[in-house]
Amino acid sequence: MKQFMKPAMAALVMSMLTIGNAYSQSSTPKLSDPEIASVAVVANQIDVDYAKIAKTKSKDADVLKFAQTMSDDHTAVIKQAVALVTKLGVTPKDNAVSQKLLSDAQKTKKQLSSKSGKAFDKAYIDNEVAYHKAVINAVENLLIPQSKNAELKKLLEDVVPTLKAHLAHAEMVQKEFSKK
Amino acid sequence: MNRNLKWGGALFVYLFIIFFIHGCGTPEERAIKVPGSDSINTNAENVRPTGPELHVVEIKDMKFQPESLSVKRGDTIMWINHDMVTHCVTEEKTKAWTSSNIPANASWKMVFKNNADYFCAIHQVMKGKITVQ
Repeated sequence: MKQFMKPAMAALVMSMLTIGNAYSQSSTPKLSDPEIASVAVVANQIDVDYAKIAKTKSKDADVLKFAQTMSDDHTAVIKQAVALVTKLGVTPKDNAVSQKLLSDAQKTKKQLSSKSGKAFDKAYIDNEVAYHKAVINAVENLLIPQSKNAELKKLLEDVVPTLKAHLAHAEMVQKEFSKK
Repeated sequence: MNRNLKWGGALFVYLFIIFFIHGCGTPEERAIKVPGSDSINTNAENVRPTGPELHVVEIKDMKFQPESLSVKRGDTIMWINHDMVTHCVTEEKTKAWTSSNIPANASWKMVFKNNADYFCAIHQVMKGKITVQ
């Protein structure tokens, strides 16, 4: 038993050191609560904007339905976030992460707008899958660990199941496309 | 005269004992003695287990909790939305019935007579099952 435990423990310690190292490096931005609030609102608004493009360009019933859900749900999350920061007396503060999200979204919106028909539907859904994966990663590994206010942290934690259901829904529509 | 006093005293003691016994019961003990109350209680006990029941399914963290529920024919199921987004409860295969939108903190209920596989038509990965016994 001890013979087995030693390499297992060594591997565990090594992996913890590696993860710890990755987070202590300068690549992980440090965010204050007002900055986290800004990232949360911007990230949700970007998906509402993608949905707006889909609603004008797509004729596919599944895509239109999905886009409506994204628009409604992310608007509901923004409403909750705004209500919370208003209650806490926090003003969302612009920062490098929010700016990076916006500049990436600008490029994606241009690409989506240049497409039409089936090519647009596929590009929109592929982007929804990729975008939700990225946002889930950011919320779980950056925003939740760094938020100091308990209510802000709780709101972010409550949003994760919604984002994961959106990802599963997008992947379902994506799978249907691959059959068509 | 003495004889009268003796009987009078005995009557007094007798009446005193009667009042003492009837007056000292607890409210619960007295309630039991209300005519007809025993039979009403018995009826209520007989009816309750076989009557229609209300079951609650919580909608939380994008899940129906419990996802699978077994009820008796004629029971009512109530869905309560605890999420911040709008959900719905819709029969999955034929869309035979739907709650329409259930906004955050709202609820919807229906009486069940048949089995059903249902889902949230807004978030189609959310599914649930009702089994009617």
